This record gives sequence, C-alpha cells and structure tokens, in this order.
Amino acid sequence: MDLDANRSLIATALARIPGGDRAALQTVYRLTSAKLFGVALRILGDRSEAEDVLQEVYVTVWRKAADFDAGRASPMTWLITIARNRAIDRLRTSKQSRRMDPIDEALDVADSRPIADGALETSEDNARLYGCLGQLARDERAALRGAFFDGNTYEDLALRLSVPLGTMKSRIRRALLKLKTCLEPNP
Amino acid sequence: MSDTSAHSGMPADELLAAELALGVLAGAERDAAAERAAREPAFARMVAAWEERLAPWAAEIAEVSPSPLVWDRIAAALPAQAAPHASLWQSLAFWRGLTLATGTLAAACVGALIYIGNIPQPAPLIAAIDGGGHHHFVATLDTRSGAVAVTPAAFAADATRVPELWLIPADGKPRPLGLLRADRTVTITIPRELVPHATRDAVLAVSLEPQGGSPTGQPTGPVIASGKLTLL
Repeated sequence: MDLDANRSLIATALARIPGGDRAALQTVYRLTSAKLFGVALRILGDRSEAEDVLQEVYVTVWRKAADFDAGRASPMTWLITIARNRAIDRLRTSKQSRRMDPIDEALDVADSRPIADGALETSEDNARLYGCLGQLARDERAALRGAFFDGNTYEDLALRLSVPLGTMKSRIRRALLKLKTCLEPNP
Repeated sequence: MSDTSAHSGMPADELLAAELALGVLAGAERDAAAERAAREPAFARMVAAWEERLAPWAAEIAEVSPSPLVWDRIAAALPAQAAPHASLWQSLAFWRGLTLATGTLAAACVGALIYIGNIPQPAPLIAAIDGGGHHHFVATLDTRSGAVAVTPAAFAADATRVPELWLIPADGKPRPLGLLRADRTVTITIPRELVPHATRDAVLAVSLEPQGGSPTGQPTGPVIASGKLTLL
C-alpha cells in the first residue's frame, strides 16, 4: 500500500465531510476503522465497549471534520487521538477493568522494529520515534508503554510496576523530556 | 504539581500538555487539562504537538475488524439526510455537478433526436455514475460503435490516484475500459469482444487506481461511484 496515497485519500475524504457527504465519512470509516478499533480494543479490552467507542469516534469525526487541518496534522494522528481520548474517557468512567498485568517486555521496542503501517505515518516518523524510545531506560519505556497502549494513569502505573506514585511521576516526566529532546534536538 | 518543572526540566504548561496527550491524567486533573486545551489555542498546539510525536507508536497496534453493524449504527446516528443542508447549496462541487449533469443530459437529448431522425439506428444508453449522493460522471454509450463518452460532473480529482472506468455486465465481473479525467470528457471505444456485454442494465463503475490504472486488471482501489446503463 502506498503510504502517501492512503494518507491523501483519507485527507481528501475528511475534507468532503463538512459539506454533509456521508459517502466521504464511509470512505474514512472503510480506510481507518480497523486501526481505530484496534486502538480502542487495546485500551478497553472488550469488543462491545470498543464498538461503542468506535461509533462515538466516527460521529465525532462527522461533527468535527471541519476542525481538521491537513496542513498541520496528519489525518491518522487526528483520528487516532480522537479514538484514544474517547477510549480513555470510557475507561475512566466505566467499571471496565484496566490492564494491570505485567507489561509485555517481549513486545518492547528494544526488540521490535519499526512497523510500516499502510494507514499510519511514513516509516521515517516511525523510525525516528522508535530510535528515541530505544534510548530510554527500560523502566521508563515500560511506563510510557502502559500509558500509551493500555490507557493507564499515573496511579495505575505505580501499582502495576510496584513503585511509589511520586517515583512513577518523575519517571514518566523524565521519559517525556528525553523523548522530546531526542525527537527535536534543536528547539 | 508544584514539583513539575523541577523534575522534568520542561515548562509546567508543556509537561501538562504531554501528560494529557499521553493519557496519564485522571479525574479532575484530566478534565481541567482538556478544558484548557479547548479554551487556549497555545496550550492546544502543545497538546497537538505531543499527539503528533506519540502517534507513530500506534503502528504497533494490530488492525481488528469491528462488527459490520457498527457502520449501520453510525449511519443511523447521523442527522437525517433528507434535511436540506445549507452547505450543500454552497458547495461548488454540487453546482458544478448539477450544471454538468444537466448539460450532458441536454447534449444526450440532442444526440437522441439525431438518432430518432435516423431510425432504425439503435438508441444510445446513458448512465449517471453516482456515489454518495453526487453524480460523479455521466456516460453516454453509442451501442452501434461501442464508443462511450464519459463526462466528469461532481468528481473531485485526487492528488495521487486516477479514476478508472469498469464495465460490470450481468455476470458481475468487472472489465477495465480505461482511465477517465476529472477535467474533460473522455471517449473510450469498448473492445469489440465486450460490446455485446455493454447492454441495458449493465453497470458502469469508477474506482480510484494508481497512476496508469489498475495493475491487476481488477479494481484495486475503492469503487467510488456506479450506475446502470439505461435507455434515454
């Protein structure tokens, strides 16, 4: 799949939605729903909850498509952010249990390669992020991973990784700063 | 969060933006940060920058197909289609589509009159190639010569893909006819062996394909519009 072609298809379809074009929303849905469902399912761990969230996500896309600025953000980042935020909101308000099992080190970035993803970013963006994640300490990466993929809060992560809350906050903040410095060496 | 900047070396605002984007905040803290992002453009930009930094990580998440019912629920949750939509009336594509479609129909009528004057010539077939409530293309087929003229109506060009025309006869198998243009009428001569299939009720469809057309002989991109050949 041609990454740029797909990105431009999604952006073109998003641009048609504010005019009330349902087929355009359906095109966006066809091209992106499996990815966004994967994101929501990973956070919620329950198909039916994740499907409710997916519905909310595309109704939000229908209402807010005019806010999307193709010159500023990538369409997939915009969509994934909506999906993550909706899934996290649902996780925080429902009785859905959070993922608290040991964070899977087998899938750790240190051991995995950047994945070219038809729906997502160019492989350069990917490689850059992975390179920087690889420079973090293992416990920093595990904490970010639990937050990004499983929707864990500071408190969840402190419990899950058995460290005091204050330690977890410092760890995440240190990791975020390192990540930023690595991704943008010249501020 | 008094220890914020001391710990991280990042300004407190930006740290909060990063925490919101990452999703580690909960309860009142999360609500307050989200509200700030809705209110303060500068803060919203910091949140967006962090979302952009982290999003490529999602490449790791496997795609999972949701139940097909989800789309039906989404479609049902959208505002009723029948309600007149102000922006439709302001849509250039809509007016261009209407004007061109009408113009093409008029041209086809003139064509039909000429044909009627030349009985027993067979009448042309016409297809409005629609998708998503728009006439994307209008096609007129001269069944005698096998020439099909395809005029763009509300078709919006795509930067990287080209529209390709397909004939789908009664057997349901798409046959490639050729590439279309967003800016002018294209006349395609249907291959002789396909002419018998280009009959009333056969379908013309348009898919988006890589430059140069489908490499496989079958549609590889999304089919964006289709329409049945009918007698004028």
